[in-house]
Formats: sequence, structure tokens, C-alpha cells
Amino acid sequence: MSGFRRARKNKQLMAGAAVGAFVVLLGIFGPMIFGDYAAQDLFNGHKPVGTPGHFFGTDALGRDLAARATYGIRISLLVAIAVTALAVVFGTAIGMIAGYVKGTLDGFISFLIDFIWGFPLILVAVLAAASIGSGLLPVILAVAFVNTVAIARVVRGEVLAISEKDFVVAARAGGYSTLRIISRHIAPNVIPVALVLSSYYVAVAIIAEAALSFVGLGAQPPLPSLGQMVSDGRNYMRINVWESTIPGIIIFLMVLSVSLIGDGLRDLLDPRLRTAVERTSAK
Amino acid sequence: MSNNEHGDQALNEASDLIRGYQRGQISRRDFGKGLLGLGLGVGAASAILAACGGDDSSDVATTLAPDGGGDMGGGIKSGGVLREGYNRDVSSHDPITTNWYDPAYSAIYETLVTDDLDGNTVPMFASAWSVSDDGMEYRFEIPEGRVSHSGGPMGAEQVAGLLQTVMDESFIGGVSTVPMVGYSVEGNTVVMKMKNAWLGALNPHKTGYWALANIDTWQAAGGLDPSSTYGTDSADGTGPFTHTEWVPGSHTLVTKWEDYPGSEAPIISNPGPAYLDQIRWTVITEAGQRATQLETGELDSLIGPGYADLERLRNNPDLFTIQHPEWSGYHLVMNRDYPEFFGDVLTRQGLSHALNREAMVNAILFGNGDPTYGPFPISDRQYEPLVEEFNQFDVELAKSKLAEAGWEAGDDGILVRDGTRFEFEYVVEDESVQKLVAEAVAQQFREVGVVANLRVVDRAVWFEEASGEGRDAAPMSLFFWLWPVPLDILVIFSSSETIPVPNFSHVIDDDIEAAIADWRQAGTPEAAQEASSAFQLAWAENLPYLPLMNQYATFVAHNYVKGWQPFVWNLYPLYNDVWLDK
Repeated sequence: MSGFRRARKNKQLMAGAAVGAFVVLLGIFGPMIFGDYAAQDLFNGHKPVGTPGHFFGTDALGRDLAARATYGIRISLLVAIAVTALAVVFGTAIGMIAGYVKGTLDGFISFLIDFIWGFPLILVAVLAAASIGSGLLPVILAVAFVNTVAIARVVRGEVLAISEKDFVVAARAGGYSTLRIISRHIAPNVIPVALVLSSYYVAVAIIAEAALSFVGLGAQPPLPSLGQMVSDGRNYMRINVWESTIPGIIIFLMVLSVSLIGDGLRDLLDPRLRTAVERTSAK
Repeated sequence: MSNNEHGDQALNEASDLIRGYQRGQISRRDFGKGLLGLGLGVGAASAILAACGGDDSSDVATTLAPDGGGDMGGGIKSGGVLREGYNRDVSSHDPITTNWYDPAYSAIYETLVTDDLDGNTVPMFASAWSVSDDGMEYRFEIPEGRVSHSGGPMGAEQVAGLLQTVMDESFIGGVSTVPMVGYSVEGNTVVMKMKNAWLGALNPHKTGYWALANIDTWQAAGGLDPSSTYGTDSADGTGPFTHTEWVPGSHTLVTKWEDYPGSEAPIISNPGPAYLDQIRWTVITEAGQRATQLETGELDSLIGPGYADLERLRNNPDLFTIQHPEWSGYHLVMNRDYPEFFGDVLTRQGLSHALNREAMVNAILFGNGDPTYGPFPISDRQYEPLVEEFNQFDVELAKSKLAEAGWEAGDDGILVRDGTRFEFEYVVEDESVQKLVAEAVAQQFREVGVVANLRVVDRAVWFEEASGEGRDAAPMSLFFWLWPVPLDILVIFSSSETIPVPNFSHVIDDDIEAAIADWRQAGTPEAAQEASSAFQLAWAENLPYLPLMNQYATFVAHNYVKGWQPFVWNLYPLYNDVWLDK
């Protein structure tokens, strides 16, 4: 069965892709449809969902919640993509070096990984904010830093196993350089693992950005972040529940889509699961 | 509709207006307008205004004893813990070093004198006070045999020592007492000598910064040494409660002082130790949480509910609400060490005209406040209404002032002058109302081509960012002040003597300096009003800061909380009369 057909048969992947596409399209076209996220109308605050001209209602300053929420999707996606790209590139490279070179270097990198892994993400983010100021950049750097370590940890384990395989031993016996062995023989076997793992860490990045913005460490106002919108809206839950709920639902949909895609990709790329799925489908 | 129906409707509307005014829900000005709108003549409206507790010189809404809440009733019960929600983090209980004082000060400490319900000065710790005919000497009689919580003597010697230390060392004390020479002791009397007669001499003495701590204990705990534990681990006052726990970000706990001999203040009914065993103030900085915790019974009383919750709380029959004007304000700092932005008055006026203060009061305070066009809240006794000729919202005027100042729109619509783009950093404290105010202001600036880039920081960082020398301080920041006598604190914020802190704008303005000098020389009400008016008008026109708005003070409690009577002249309730009827 071709990869595309297998993907189409994977319900989780398809559901995740559909939800994800919907959210991404909202992020792309929403701000164009709903207008300026910063435009305020101070006499029209806290309008409910369905108010003419304000599809999702308005916030305390009369700003359009639809415009803000859809722009917030852009911020979340920007952070998620930036964080995951950094984490996959650096995490895979560090993990491969540690797992293949072994010895003292591996010991040192493993120690660092374990050491950093022990720090809560929020603490790293606070330290980053304290050193370079609050905003999106410290959030991206802090989450990428922690995610890099997480990916490096898994990749190192994979490389340790792969480096003992016959084809790697043969390449080594054939006198190939370390760089060539890593790039030609190890990387192709490890990168799919890193990519599947990255889908999980996209979800982590979205949640982390929302959480950090919720506590004021993320995007600075008036830039709308979904976490910050949840935080701002909770003071008005009793008069307009949607101010918190709408960004909350969007965060949920984004994380759900990424998780479903991740699960689907895992099923698709794991040969053991693939066989089982196909056998089940054949029946 | 018959004449009778018309009459009934007008009567009902008038009753609603009077109720709203007496509860502080509408301002004196709106009350007057409403009465006139009902067809009453000016004379009748004035008579009703006077009967409702105001006069022409004051815009202070009368605070009523709450239904079922404020009266003492019969059968006072002793014991129990009052659990009070507080809308800020707690400050140290050291009056000499703090830059803010909290409700616990009203429990732990007394002041020499205080205000009664009508705003008249009455004794509190002093048994009596007097002022010489020429206004050059004040005498405070200290009752014999008084001790502080630690058991240490609290005679005239200690009181004078404390007051002199406040004057010499306190962050705020020194600049608030410029017309004073100092304090001395004659028997049981503390004598305060003046450089000149000054009508405002007693005002600072009613605030928490002049709270009577035992100076011997304060010095023994470390005094001004940064490692001093006074105010955090311990406090030694003469109030009805003793310091028990102080946990920033969480709570403050005070415990009944069994040896409290009772207050000299005629506004306190309880002649002896407090009725309550303890008071616990819980820090709840999330506005929405405060009301919820009160409604669910986790709190007995609350200072500063979120404005979004106020209507619901007012409609709750188990609760009573007290609201009155608050001596506070939201002001924008414009650091004059960025002259390219804020150096010229036309630019500052242009920025000011871009701000719709009415709309901000509506959106952010749900109408529970007033716009301010000058430095004072409109309810202040010395309020100068002529300030309203300045700073009115007018975008076209804002643009023309900015253009007159030399600003021209760049390619992207942002103003540019002499190659400088009108874009600067704007620091705001991470607090829900202040954040909203800052966002609303920044967007209104954007409408006239000015970019204020917000940076939200916690309170400590805000203070650091706002208080630097020269350009080390942020170009713009938003701050909120709270002080029982607005003029006293605003003098401090705009005097050339207090640069860089608390003159956050680093402003030196000749008109304001002259008004401050006159105020410090004012020995009669007329001279004080003249200096105050000059100060307000200079401020409104020259704009050392941009005044924005003033919120109302709001307090809510369960009906079983008795004797809890916040009133307009005190920032916080007095706690010796409070008891729980449950």
C-alpha cells in the first residue's frame, strides 16, 4: 500500500489534519476577515458571541475577540514552529553526537541533559525572561532549550542501539569517517523518530507558550496570545464567559490536532504498528 | 400618563438618584444634573444636595452605615477571626521604610490624630491637641502610662523620637514636612515647631507613614539597616492588634492585644480591647477571585472587589457594599530626560487630548470612577473645577497640537520630528486594572501616530524601572497613587526636590514650584485653596504627568460583620469596633 493511501486510511491522522487545517486556516485568514486586533471601542466592551460585527464578541476594551483569537493562533503557531525547529535540529545533532561518540563526551552531555531535564520549564522561562526581558523571544528560547534536551535524550538512546547494528559496524570496518557514518547511516534511521517526537513537542510548545503568556511571561500586550486572553478573560467569567472560553477552545483544538497527527504518524511510520493496522484493515 | 403618574415617576427617579448619590454610586455633579433633569429648579436641587450631605465646596458622597452591617446593635459578641480579602500584595509593617501602607496598619498602629466621619481632625493616640494662634506650634498631649505591644513605654519621649525619625529618615516623611522644624518634648506633651504656619501640618500625621511605632523596638531590630527585621518579623505599635504573621504574596495575620486600653478617638465606640480574636488579610490580586471567595464564604469582608463583580455583589442580600470617593489616581509618567519626546508642552498636551478618559472609566472601571483632567480626584475638598478646561478628549486638537510641536507623519503614519520617530517604551505593573489602562492608553496614542511599546513587569521591577536617574528610568510608565490628602502626595511627585524618586517624571516646573512654595506657606483656608488651585491649574496645563482617572473605593462584607465602617476620610476601616454576629 502506498504511503499516501496508508495515510488516508489512518483516521487519527486524518482527523488531526482536518482539525489542524481548520485552525491554521483560521490563523491565516482570520485576521484578514476580522480586522485589526488592537482596534478598541471603549463603549462596547464585553459583548457576547454573535454580536453584529463581532462574531466572537468583544473583550474589556471593546476589541474584537475573533480578530484577537485568530491572531493569537498565529502567535501560537509561530512559537510552536520556531521552538520545534530549534529543538529538532539541535536535539537531534546533540543526541547523535553523544550516542555515537560515547565515552567522556557522552558522559558530559548526558550529565548536562539529566541536569537540565530536572529544571521545570517555567523556571527556565523565568530565568530567560529575567536575563533578556519578557516577550516571545525568551519564551521561544526557553521552551526550545528544554525541548532540545528532551529530543536529544531520546535520539541518543536510538543512536546507541543503531550504532551496534551490523550495517554501522560494517561501515566503521570499511574505514568510513564518523561524519559520513552519522550522516549516511545513522541520521536516516533517527530522523523519522525525531520527527514523530517533534509532533508531541509541538503540542508541548503550544501549551507552554499559552501557560507562560497566562502568567505574563509571553507576548506583551497589545499583541494577543491565546494564553494571555484566557488570563485576561477570567476576571469577567461571570459577565462574559466567552472571553476566556474561546481562546481556551482554540488551544484545545490546536493541541488535539497535533496530538492526533503525532499518533497517526507514529502508527504510519512504525513498521510493527503499520503491519498490525494493515492486517486489521484487511480483515 | 396622568399627572399623578408623572409625579410618582419623578419621585421614584429622585429617590433612586438620592440613594445612588448617598451610596457614592454617582458623583455630586451627576446627582445635581439628574435633579435638574427631573425638572427641579437650581434652588431645589441645591437644597436636596445640601440635605444629602454635601455642600458647594465638597464633592464627597456620603458613606452610609450599611443596612444591617454597620450598626453595632445589641448583644455584641467577642471572638472569632475576621477573614478579609485584600486587593494588593502586603507591604512591610515598618512605617518608616515602607513605600505603601496596608489595612493592617489600622489594626497594629495608631496615629497621633485622625479624621472623624466628617473629616474633622480628632485625637487618636494623643488625648488632645492644640495649635498656637500664630500657627507656629502644635502641642499633642500624650496619655500617661501608655505602653506598646512589647510592653515598652510609649510616652512623649518615644513618640517625639519616632516622629523626628520619620521626618529625618522616612522615604516620604522628609519631603512631606518641609515647613516643620521638628519635634520636642515638654513633660507629657509632644511639641511640633513650624518654620511657618501651615494649614496642612496635621495631614501627614494621620497617615500610616506616621503610624506610632515604638522607636526603641524599631532601633533594636535594626532601624534603617537593610537587614532589619522590623515590619516583617515583628512590629510594635499601640493599636488594638499585634503583628503575628506577615507573608508577602499570601497573607497578614494580627492578633488581639489583650492589654489595649482603648482609643482616644471619638469615632471608635469600643472602650477597651478588640472584639475580634484575630484578623487575617488574604492577598488576592486576581480581581475575579476576590468576589467569588466572598460569595463562597471563604472571606467575611473584602477590600476592592473587581468592578465587573460589583453589580452582582450589590444584589446579593447576604452582603452589604460601601463605596465612596477614593483619594487616588492613575497618572502617566513622562520622563523629561527624554526631551525629544516629552520636553515640550505642546507635545504633552497633544498626547493628553488624544485620551478619552470618560470612555476608559466606562470600560475599565464600569463607571465606578471619574475622569481626571487635573491632578486631583474631582471629589477632593480643594478640587479646582477649572482644570476641566484642559485635557478634554479631542483627537483633532491632539493632532493639531502635535503638528504645531513639529511632529509629522512618516511613511507608516508614525510621527517623526527631527529624525526621531515617536516610539518609546512604556512600563506598566502587572496588575489587571493597570494593564487595561495601559493598553487603552497605548491604543489611543496609536490613533494619533504615537507608538508606546508596553512592557508589563512585576511591582518591584516597575519601581526599579521607573525610579532610575535620568534616562535610566523608562521614558513612560503608568502609576497609581493612594493617599488621604491628594495635594500632599502630588507635591511630592512633582517637586524638584524629589528627582528622581518619587518625582518619576523628573520634572522641574516653575509654576508648580511656586504653587508648592505657596502651599507650604498657607496658613489660612483661603491661602491653602489659592495655592492648591494654582497647583492644579499649573499641573493641568503644563502636564508634569498625564492625569487619567480616579476610581471609587469599594468595600463589601457579609451582613454578619458588624461595626465594620470604612469611611471616606480613612483609606482603610478601623477594626476595634468590628465583631462577628454569627
